[in-house]
This record gives sequence, C-alpha cells and structure tokens, in this order.
Amino acid sequence: MTATVSTGAGLPGDPTEGLPEDELPDDAAELPQAFAFGPEHDELRATVRRFLADRSPEAEVRRLMETDAGYDPAVWQQLAHLGLTGLLVPERHGGAGAGCVELQIVCEEMGRALLCAPYLSSAVLATSALRYAGDEAARARYLPGLADGSVIGTLAVTEESGSWRAEDAATRAESDGAGGFTLTGEKLFVLDGAVADLLLVLASTDSGPGLFAVAADALGLAREPMATLDVTRKQARITLQGTPGTPISSIEDAAAGLAAALDVAAAALAAEQAGGARRVLEMAVEYAGVREQFGRPIGSYQAIKHKCADMLLEVESATSAAYAAGWAVDARSPEVGVLASLAKAYCSEAYYRCAAENIQVHGGIGFTWEHPAHLYFKRATSTQILLGSPTYHRELLATRLGI
Amino acid sequence: MDPAGLTAPPAGAGDLAGSGAPPGSGASAGSGASAGEPPDRSGLGVAEFRAELRAFLGERHPGSTPRDRAERLAFLRAWQATLTDLGWVAPGWPRRWGGMGLPTGLQAVYHREMALGRAPVPPTNAVGIVGPTLLRDGTDAQRERYLPPMLRADELWCQGFSEPDAGSDLAALRTRAVLADGVYRVTGRKIWSTNAPVARRMLLLARTGTPESRSRGITCLVVDMAAPGVQVHPLRDMTGALAFAEVVLDDVPVPEADRIGAHGDGWRSARVTLGHERSTSLTAAALRYQRVVGDLVELARRRGRTADPAVRQDLARMVTGARLLELNGARVLGRVLAGRDPGPVSSVSRLQHAEFEQRLHEVAVRLLGADGLLDAADPRMRTDGRWVRGFLRTRASTIGAGTSQVQRNTIAEKVLGLPADREET
Repeated sequence: MTATVSTGAGLPGDPTEGLPEDELPDDAAELPQAFAFGPEHDELRATVRRFLADRSPEAEVRRLMETDAGYDPAVWQQLAHLGLTGLLVPERHGGAGAGCVELQIVCEEMGRALLCAPYLSSAVLATSALRYAGDEAARARYLPGLADGSVIGTLAVTEESGSWRAEDAATRAESDGAGGFTLTGEKLFVLDGAVADLLLVLASTDSGPGLFAVAADALGLAREPMATLDVTRKQARITLQGTPGTPISSIEDAAAGLAAALDVAAAALAAEQAGGARRVLEMAVEYAGVREQFGRPIGSYQAIKHKCADMLLEVESATSAAYAAGWAVDARSPEVGVLASLAKAYCSEAYYRCAAENIQVHGGIGFTWEHPAHLYFKRATSTQILLGSPTYHRELLATRLGI
Repeated sequence: MDPAGLTAPPAGAGDLAGSGAPPGSGASAGSGASAGEPPDRSGLGVAEFRAELRAFLGERHPGSTPRDRAERLAFLRAWQATLTDLGWVAPGWPRRWGGMGLPTGLQAVYHREMALGRAPVPPTNAVGIVGPTLLRDGTDAQRERYLPPMLRADELWCQGFSEPDAGSDLAALRTRAVLADGVYRVTGRKIWSTNAPVARRMLLLARTGTPESRSRGITCLVVDMAAPGVQVHPLRDMTGALAFAEVVLDDVPVPEADRIGAHGDGWRSARVTLGHERSTSLTAAALRYQRVVGDLVELARRRGRTADPAVRQDLARMVTGARLLELNGARVLGRVLAGRDPGPVSSVSRLQHAEFEQRLHEVAVRLLGADGLLDAADPRMRTDGRWVRGFLRTRASTIGAGTSQVQRNTIAEKVLGLPADREET
C-alpha cells in the first residue's frame, strides 16, 4: 500500500484512545500492518538527498553553526522553491498538501545531513500548530507565508520547567477586552526564536491555556540566543512584557490542538532521529572496515561487530517506529498519540546510543572537534529532550494506553 | 492463556515436552486423513479469506492448551491434524505438498488471525524448518513419503545438528557417516535435540568429508529413530523439563535414498528456511507478544502496581518492544508485497524477539516481588506461575538455534559487510 496523503485541516484522531487489549480494531486487520514506500517516495527522498549533499555538506554545517542566525537564507529560499517549507500546508493555503509520511522522508534526510535551518520550528511546529490548533482565519492569515518561506515561524511552549504540557505554562495572557491579549512571561529553549518572524506562544488565561500569534517586532518582546550544546539548531530566550498577541483559535480548542500538533512534530522529529542514527551507523561501519589495529581491521573483532549489529537493530526499529507514527497521522488513526509517543521515546534513545557508540568505535579521532561524530552526538542529545524526554513520552504512552 | 507456546523460538523450533508417547505413535493425533482435497483458498480476497478462517476457528478452536506436557503434546498433535485435514496448515507451502499455497498477503492475514483468535501454536518444527528443507532439496519420492505425515503431526521430527563439541560452531561437527553399498553408517553423538524422545525421524547433519572439511564435507540424512543403534537419553533442562535429549548413534544404517540433497552438500540444505514464511510467522509471534504484554499490564493492575512511575516506565518499554516487533515485521511484509527485497530489518528480527521475551519475563518476575521467588508449583502461584516458568524458559531464547552473539556476528558480516575473523560458516 502507499501512503495516504491527507489534505486540509482536522485533528488526527483522539490521541487518548487506547489499544484494545484482546483484539485490534477490525479495520486494522485488513492489511495496514504492511507498510512500504512507493516510487514517488523514493523520488522525493532522492531529490532531497541530492539537494542536501550539494547545499548542506559538512563544511556548510560547520560554517552555519558558528553564525548567530544558524541558517543560510539562500538555502531556505531554495527549500521553499522545492516546495518543502510548505509540505504540510494545505493547497488552498499555498502549500503542497502532502502528508506526514512525506514530511518524515524530508526530516530523515535533514537529520542525516544535520541541516542547519529553521525547518522543524517553521515548517513543522508552527505549521502544525496552525493546522491543528488554529482556526480558519488564523490559517488563512499565517500559513501562506510559512508555506512560501517568506515568514519563519516557531512555537514557544517551554519555560523554566522545560514542560511541554499546555497546562504548565506560567506565561500569562490577559484579555484587553477587545479580542486582543497582552502576554507577560519568559519562554526558554524556543527553536530558532531569535530569527523567527512569527512566534506562536503558549500562555495561560483565566479560561485555560491558549496559543497566541506574536510578531517579532511586537512591543515588549525581547529575545536573545541561548548558548546551547547543539549549535546546529539554535534556541532562544524570549521575554514578553505586556506584549500584544492574537489568539489563533478559541481558548477551549487550543490545548487539544496543541497536543495534536506536538504528536505530528514528534513523528517528524523521530524520523529526523532515525535518519541521523542511520548516518552514524554508516560512519561506524565504514571506519571499522578500514581502521586496522593489531594487524586487522577493528571491524573483524566481535566487540566492534556486536556494537554495530546492535546499532542496526536500533536503527531499523527506530525507522519502523517513526514511519508507523507518520502513517497513523495520515490515516487519522486513533493510535496517533500512542505511536507518536512510542516513536519519540524509542528514536530518542536509539539515536543517542548510536551516536555515542559511533564515537567509541572511532576511538580518539571520534573525540576530536574536526570529526563530525560529536555533531551527531550533540544533535542526538538535544533532540532527546526536545518535545519531551523519553521518560516523559513513556509515561504519556502508558497514560494514553489507559494504564 | 498458557504462554508456553509463545516463548518458544519463533522460527519453529517448538517447545515440546517429552512425553510417554512411543516414538512413531500417530494414534494420539487421531487417525484417518481427510477424504479428498481441502479447498483451495489461495485465490480468495482478504475479507472472504478472513471470514472463512474466523468461521473455522469459531467452530473448531480446541480451547486452552493443557499445562501437563504429555496431555499438551497430544492436544497439539490433534490440533495440527485438524488444521491439516481442513486445509489450514502451512500457508506458504505449495498445495501439491499439502500446504495452502497462499500469496504473501494472505499468509500475513492467516498468521494474524491465528494470533488474534488465540489458536494454539502448531506443535512441530515441520512447517518452519524440516519441511522447507525437504521442499527445496528433497526428491519427489522423499516428499511423498515424509511430508504428509509430518504436516499432520502423525510423525514428529527432531533435528540432529548440535554436538557436545559443536554448538555455535556447527561446522565443527564430527558425527561420521560412511557410505558403502548404498547405505550410510552413522556414528556419533547429537545433543540439545528437542523432541528426540517422541520423534519418529531425525533430520541429521553428519560429516562425510575429511575431519578438516568444515562446512564443505557435511551431508544431510533422514534417520529413522527406530533404526538399530539409535539411543535417546533425555536431558533435564533448567526448568526441570525433559524437553530435549542427547542422541547416541552407533553404526546406524541410513539408506542412501534417505539423503537430502547431494553428498557433501548438507550444510546448504540445513540453512533453508522459507523467507516469507518466516517473516509472516514472526509477525504472528509479535501479535501474540502484544497479548502477553496486555496480560503483563493486567498483572500489574491486579497487584496494584500501576501507579508506580518505575513500573509504568517498564510497562511502556514492554509495550514498545512488542509493537516494534510487529512494526518491523510490517515493514518487511510491506517490502515483500511491493516486490522489493525484505531489507536489513528482516535479519534483526530473531535477535530482537529473543531478547525481548527475556526482558518481558524479567519485568514480570520483578512485578511479582517476593512471589517471584516461588516455583510455579506453589499454590500462591496458581494464576501467575506462567511468568516464572517463562522466566526460566526464556533463558534458552538467546541460545537455541544460534546464540545471540553468533547472530550479531552474522548480522555484522552478512548485512553490514564487516570483515570475518574466522573461517567460513
């Protein structure tokens, strides 16, 4: 079977619905247990891989990671021309109207190449937040700019606590009585927050958490880059002091919409992690085949072989987990929440372990600044925490299964 | 349900007990094969096929599997005979040899429905290991003679592969077979032979080349367990069961007609598995594990442990492990159905199954707390003894049919292309 491409908006199903214990749903018994990509997916992957090989080689990653902005605007425009920035945006709002499965292919390749660009923040997080938590007016207003790359968006959820739960937001939004709000508080770890034109900010109101669109030049908004371990993806501290913001939907709809958007983002990030993990496995295997010690390639020793075999097992499983979450999103399966949390928890740990083992297989050279192993290790570490740690997602998984 | 069948290595090396049934006794499986050919279901649509299979299970499901090993063997043999007589056995085998001849997609539906319907897991290694060997390398005469009673479990088979000094390094095996006047004379010792005490025949690997010939000098033979010179010594495993045995062969005659494949070509024959059969049946095992994980969650509930954050983490990890087995299987199946090669994911499945079922039972026994110290026979363990039994049994999961270490070597060399550090295997 091939991926179903979902267009238009709508929630991807109730993420709290659990797995039946004794029997899977009847329609699940058809044949969706088999999933594979079609030629159109192979073509998309090949296109993105070629593009990134050309425009995001290691030297470019190293150049951009040392800059404040952390991305190349020319490459960003080319991503837009390829239709990638608007992949998740419905056609009526100027996007490609593609599904999560296509998005995952792109994210997997970007994870392999360690692309430095605000893709996850703008094309995934901000776009999903608008698709799943925004009303039609907000979508019509903001999605076209995100789709054509002229606007870089991001989603500001986390604060001092690092929590990704809507109800944990301490930032306050006060109604001005005329449909507008003013926001006060501090947001931390905001992806590409220093370069974003549009910030979608989670803040609490008297009637619950809401999402508010805040312009980069809004009154009382200050932002500064945070000094991060992983410099291939920038994060910022955002302070809001009576900053005007526009709700992107009614407050009642925001929390559920945000949860759905975060599930889609988790599926995308899991694919990025699977892509990075596969790349470090390739690096480790290649090196183990040529590096000789005691007169033999180190890959002929079982200690190294077993590490590589375990990495393959984790890489393959991570890939399966990520795709399953993406397929569930596109099929609007009631299992989206379960599979998104499962994938985020598993892929995070798999990527981390593979990136760590890759350094070990490389030995001394793997510990040097000049070798790319540490770049992947740092990306693995940052993505582990991003959108919630593996422990958080396992707890969420248990809750979503009704345990 | 009894999880015993679930913790067996899924490749088909069955978890069968020794029993009192004499070798070659087909009586317990019921007599009288079906009249006429079972219907051909290979052309059915998915919905129709599934409906027929569900109807069959609705009518003929034999209930829960007995715990007593001898009763259980008889029960499972009877079930396999029913499956065979009504045409619900060996989904991937050609119809000419008693299988269902199903396309891959329907094979997946078959295994899925059998798992969801909690059908007992057929008792022999016939469908998965020995049968495929005969299907590929046997002569028509051998297939006609051996496959029908094998499929119906009228004749149980065991495997004579491992030896006391040839375990993971199977190519070092020393049991000799000398051919003279159309008869091989076989002398040696085989060990860890599951089902040997009840088996009618053995698929044997013996050395016919020089002692140094390794995998090039091995021949595959069918041994009649009632032949003169065959002695079976049951071995008690760490669970206390007499499930496998040492088999001593002393100048045992094997007619040349009972050689599978060419003289000296037995190594290749022994490595046969039906790739698709295996990928689809692993998917079925993954579905059964999901049910077992459901039972594990129930166990945690009954014992009031589900509020404990550490327990919740463990349960989430086990749910994840079981789903990953299924999802990896689904990816293999998807590739095969799309006409692609199964890909590297197919090669890690067995390793993953083995390690998962160990961890699963470790978590269960941790959940049991002090009760985990009790033998399954203690009255307190009437409900939860299965976990302790599985806990012990699954120590073999990472050993039997190739240790997890050997599997990692194989994955590293055959899939990842890392250099070998020893002679060919």
